[in-house]
Amino acid sequence: MLEIKNLTHKYPNGVVALNDVNLTIGAGMFGLLGPNGAGKSTLMRVVATLQTPSSGSVRFGEIDVVRQPELLRRTLGYLPQDFGVYPRVSAEAMLDHLAVLKGITNAKERRDAVQGLLNKVNLYNVRKKALAGYSGGMRQRFGIAQALLGDPKLIIVDEPTAGLDPEERNRFLNLLAAIGDDVVVILSTHIVEDVSQLCPRMAILAGGRVVREGSPEGLRQEMQGRVWRAMIAREELEAARGRHNVISERLVGGRTVIHVLADAQPSPDFAQVEGGLEDVYFSTLVASRAA
Amino acid sequence: MFGKVASFEFGYQLKNPVLWVTFIAFFLLTFLSVTNEYVQIGSVGNVNINSPFAIINTMAIMAIFGQFAVVAFVANIVIRDDETGFAPMIRATQIKKFDYLFGRFVGAFLASIIIMLAIPLAMIIGSFMPWLDPERLGPLVLWHYGYAFLASALPTLFLCAAMFFALATVTRSMMATYLGVIAFFILYIVMSSLFSRPEYEQAVALLEPYGLGALFDATRYWTASDRNTMVPPLSGLYFANRAIWAGVAIASLVAAYFLFSFSARGSKKKQKDEKQSAPPERVLAAGPATQRFGAGASLTQVLTRARFEFGYLFRSPAFIVLMALGLLNAGGALWFSTEQDGVITYPMTRLFAQLLSGTFTLGPLLIAIYYGGELVWRDRERRVHEIVDSTPAADWTFVAPKVLALAVALFAVLLVGMGTGVLIQTLKGYTNYELDKYVMWFVLPNLAGCFGLAALSVFLQAISPHKFVGWGLMLLYLIATIALGQMGFDHNLYLYGGNPPMPTSDMNASGHYWIGPTWFQLYWTVFALILVVFAYLLWRRGADTRIAPRLRAMPRRLVQGGGALLAALTLAFAGMGGWIYYNTNVLNEYQSSVAAERWTADMERALIQYENAPQPTITDVTLAVDLRPREHTFTATGAYVIENRTDAPLAEVHLSWPQNIDIDSIEIDGATIGRDYTAEDEGYPFQIWRFTTPMQPGERRQVRFTTADRRQGFRNSNVLASVQDNGTFLNNYAFTPVFGFNRNTTLQDRNVRRRNNLPTELRMPTLEDAAARRFHYLRHDSDWVNADITVTTDAGQIPIAPGYVVTDETNNGRRTTRFRTDAPIMHFFSIQSAAYEVAEGRWNDVDLQIYYHPEHAFNIDRMMRAMETSLDLFSREFSPFQFRQMRILEFPGYASFAQAFANTVPYSEDIGFINRFEESDATVSDRIDLVTYVTAHEVAHQWWAHQLIGADMQGGTMLSETFAQYSALLVMEEMYGPDQVRRFLRYELDRYLRARGGEVIEEVPLMRVENQPYIHYRKGALVMYFLRNEVGEEVVNRSLRRLLEQFAFVGAPYPRSLDFVNILREEAGPEHAQLIEDLFERITLYDARVAEATATQNAQGTWDVVLQVEARKFYADGEGEETESPLNEAFEFGVFSAEPGRGAFSSEDVLAFERRPVASGRQEIRFTVAEEPRYVGIDPYNKRIDRNAADNVMAVTISR
Repeated sequence: MLEIKNLTHKYPNGVVALNDVNLTIGAGMFGLLGPNGAGKSTLMRVVATLQTPSSGSVRFGEIDVVRQPELLRRTLGYLPQDFGVYPRVSAEAMLDHLAVLKGITNAKERRDAVQGLLNKVNLYNVRKKALAGYSGGMRQRFGIAQALLGDPKLIIVDEPTAGLDPEERNRFLNLLAAIGDDVVVILSTHIVEDVSQLCPRMAILAGGRVVREGSPEGLRQEMQGRVWRAMIAREELEAARGRHNVISERLVGGRTVIHVLADAQPSPDFAQVEGGLEDVYFSTLVASRAA
Repeated sequence: MFGKVASFEFGYQLKNPVLWVTFIAFFLLTFLSVTNEYVQIGSVGNVNINSPFAIINTMAIMAIFGQFAVVAFVANIVIRDDETGFAPMIRATQIKKFDYLFGRFVGAFLASIIIMLAIPLAMIIGSFMPWLDPERLGPLVLWHYGYAFLASALPTLFLCAAMFFALATVTRSMMATYLGVIAFFILYIVMSSLFSRPEYEQAVALLEPYGLGALFDATRYWTASDRNTMVPPLSGLYFANRAIWAGVAIASLVAAYFLFSFSARGSKKKQKDEKQSAPPERVLAAGPATQRFGAGASLTQVLTRARFEFGYLFRSPAFIVLMALGLLNAGGALWFSTEQDGVITYPMTRLFAQLLSGTFTLGPLLIAIYYGGELVWRDRERRVHEIVDSTPAADWTFVAPKVLALAVALFAVLLVGMGTGVLIQTLKGYTNYELDKYVMWFVLPNLAGCFGLAALSVFLQAISPHKFVGWGLMLLYLIATIALGQMGFDHNLYLYGGNPPMPTSDMNASGHYWIGPTWFQLYWTVFALILVVFAYLLWRRGADTRIAPRLRAMPRRLVQGGGALLAALTLAFAGMGGWIYYNTNVLNEYQSSVAAERWTADMERALIQYENAPQPTITDVTLAVDLRPREHTFTATGAYVIENRTDAPLAEVHLSWPQNIDIDSIEIDGATIGRDYTAEDEGYPFQIWRFTTPMQPGERRQVRFTTADRRQGFRNSNVLASVQDNGTFLNNYAFTPVFGFNRNTTLQDRNVRRRNNLPTELRMPTLEDAAARRFHYLRHDSDWVNADITVTTDAGQIPIAPGYVVTDETNNGRRTTRFRTDAPIMHFFSIQSAAYEVAEGRWNDVDLQIYYHPEHAFNIDRMMRAMETSLDLFSREFSPFQFRQMRILEFPGYASFAQAFANTVPYSEDIGFINRFEESDATVSDRIDLVTYVTAHEVAHQWWAHQLIGADMQGGTMLSETFAQYSALLVMEEMYGPDQVRRFLRYELDRYLRARGGEVIEEVPLMRVENQPYIHYRKGALVMYFLRNEVGEEVVNRSLRRLLEQFAFVGAPYPRSLDFVNILREEAGPEHAQLIEDLFERITLYDARVAEATATQNAQGTWDVVLQVEARKFYADGEGEETESPLNEAFEFGVFSAEPGRGAFSSEDVLAFERRPVASGRQEIRFTVAEEPRYVGIDPYNKRIDRNAADNVMAVTISR
């Protein structure tokens, strides 16, 4: 159980990245959804012991994450949003190296663990190749392999699917889905589908605050009957924004499709649609910007 | 477009912090060099701080530093778009390649030039600082700064910017560009040492990229007044140099233009096809892996990390390049170290170890600085840090491997250095490999330093918010180390990594001098470990680079185990510090260099009043010196018989002695101590004794004394002990009291004197000061004395002192030998003791002996022959030899000179003994037989100093040093012929002309020499040789004979240089009056050259040679200001079939050699010779002092 209480972080340049964040996250997959710059990565870094917060506390079970980072690291798997590799080092060598750092010092156990993981993430055949030559998807799979080293009880994956093609993304999500139920997994992402496909619980982070929290299904239910769709010409967009509470807009065949949040049909042009998680997300963002 | 791009770039670079950091660093460095006497860049000696010479030199030197900064800007232009990923966007715009490249280049170059403006700014502001010595300041002349900037700094920077811009364009890699700069710089250093010999000067001046060579060439023989007023004109070689390199710069830019391509480079990462369908080879479940977190796990982690870091370092191309460059640099230095000015030395391991310690420090330093940053910041730069930092590995498993890897890399560098030494010895055919000496004198002493550097570099990087800050801090440390030491903060207890020097010697091995340095090394190694612990305590983990959160976290880390280690290390550090302090400051006296200076200055102020007080004269000396080689101490008892040789009663005796010895007792018959300065606060070693009954003229009394040097332990500086384990060499000043206050003990350096508020110089009495003739220049209290010296040392060593052995006994492991004279000898004694091999010889009824270190037998035969020839020649030409024996004794290379005592010549192991010269070298190469030369010079002193000694006044040393030079030249010519002598004099001419430019007080004519080596040795040799050429050897030698007849063994009044000149005038006759005046009484310089030389074959088949020659003569004053004087003298002309003075040139190559009258200006000279001429020359052997000796000889143009 991860408990985040009153977590605030202000960077030296004055940017408030996290503003009084409170979250309680149990075992299973937890989705943390938010746009770029919402503070997701800062939150992930704080939980991963890489950033000391300005104030607030983070507890994982018995461990005070801020004061006892060493203890958390023993049970942590972390896949950063954006990570690099050493030149001329193969996946196997790198994973082996990281396994040592994770405390797997028995050579045989380590070899088995490394090969097992490479197998699991389907990199076994290319394990001797230099990481620097890996494609984005392969690299992310390597990333999850290293995060899984040492059977962590807390796994943090920060924006893992950004930039992956659909096939790679699926493959990656399948790997996440295979992680045991007794592990706390936090998936931070700005892609709504990641969350809707995987996570029984989720929160939306915007402007450094948690603005919604719940189960994807529950949040979606709250919207039912209030989302309206219309197809308009591009020139009308500005006017529509003025008149309605537009939560999303998207081009379809050269015309603009807008979703509007309203208790009643705004005008005859609008048809009611079943609100998806995406509508929840966008409406939340619109609301939080307005606030 | 171009302008917009350039101005955008300029503005962009102005925001670059590197620019301002470098600006500040350059400003400070220059400001310090101007305002602090201890930091000097461009101004040396007597030259004004803000003289045009200092300005242009500072600018030229700082430009070399500047290139490293400039490259950062211009290389960034082409690289940053690729790095930031902006490249495709920019290249998609309409911008043209020319505007893009050169607009940016111009903008960035202009911005980087701002850095260089710090230099004139700092010099101008600095020169107004109120504490500066106004004597060393000239007026503010703005155009000097402008000229120096435009002629010196700007072209150099433009060249570097253009070249490395081109390199960056080609490689698209910052790293490769930086390696290029470093490679260029080290290549430059190597080439400069390769071509440092005079014959390459012109080529170097033309081709040296920074223009320093050309500057040096243009100002080589400039005097102080030239340097204070003139700028080197932008013409001749200097202009050619600047033009050539400007051409290279423009060519580089053109190349960059053509090599640069807008199209993206082939994508670096080829997407590899992943065989998705292929079934996995093995199906394995991730096995149950146990995680361990104890110390054992950490150890495994450290080893794994260390392997990982090693792998990175040793496979990094930069490391290999740096290593190769270091090797090249050290190899070049070693290769050329064995030859200097035509003198070849054996590649002795000791010399190589010393040289490696000197030249190889740059490599480790660069590696430590650079890789400290790389290792510490690599994870972050590679963006691996978030993964790595979130693993449970303890912080110290990150820190320790980095320090370890860096230290091992540096250690590898040392081993490569040692390998280079061995390789070069092998290449030079020297196979006496002494690996133990390399290890003891090079590898081990530098090992601790390497670890210290590695630890400091990692520590500073660990606490810095950015790699560049860490690098900057390391640079600051470097500068601070140099500056602090020179500012008087020179105790190695607080200078990080500080070490006293460790003198080495083949004779004495490491002696006991390894002990002190080893303690200091241990001490600093423990401190370095403390730094490593702090690096761990403050280790940056995670995303934050600020130090404050880590400082807050430190107590927690201390508790987790760092604390105990830290406490243990601190305790060890303090303990060793205490032990060192006890040795350096309690057992021995420690004085900082500045404090020592002040003390000496105060002593002069207190005691100079006694300088000319009448004192008794010592007539008989009895000494018993008890040397304890293993304890490095001695005790000495002695007695003087003194006589009042003044014509008035004497009421006082003044005694002085060296600061570092104990005076155990003094008794002076009929005198009691009047004032004891040793008992006063400052403790000057000076006492005034008062006679109860004054000493009457002619009266004799006795003085008895006991002295000792009992210093124990090790010292912080001035580490040399009086007595060595093997190879002691003491002179009598080191352990006996002297009468009167001697100005030899005062501060000599003009600037040092000024900053201590002393009169800037203590000049000698002038030649006209008749009263000064009552003293000779060795000591004021005695001349020739009867000596009875007993030396006791350990059995197994041979004790030696001047005089003849009367008894020699060995009892209880101690050997005692007594030496007595049978006629008075100069009161200047050497005491030596070592385990010697002895070579015996005989000349007439004189015993010849050479006492040498058994491993140094190379040149014993030639020394012996040189002694024989010298004794033969001098006793024939000058006067009989006064002794029954002549001895040469080797002493350790803690100093490198030979010195003549009565029938005894201590001779350093560094010179002569290890020279390499074959008889055949004398005729077929440019080599000079220094062994014979030095031996002959020292034997000559048995006449010139030990038979006749000059008065302590201007010209005094001419009578000993100049005549010893002349005598040695006669020996050289008798043994090897005139070519060898001319070769030698060529170097003497160059050394004289260079040294006179660095004169700080006043250049005086030879007759008035004030103990200036470049005058009494260098010019003296040239003058005497030319004199002999003009008036004939017989006249010169007859004059010398007459001088000896008149003054040998005669006391005060002592002879003057003028006495010789007067005799010479009589002997040479009035036709040489002008010559003698020019040579001895004036500073005379010639400038003769061949302007044109053509030859045609005539009908008879012989050759008509026509020379256009120009000749002028100048008289210079003491500041080097020259006045032309009409010339009307006979010059030697030569027509040759080979270039004189080069290679195997010999008399067979001389087609014609005649004297012809020459007047000022241009004139034509004709010759007819039988064979085809190749070279002609006016004064072709450079017998006159010619400001430009190289243009006296010219190749002949044959016209058909």
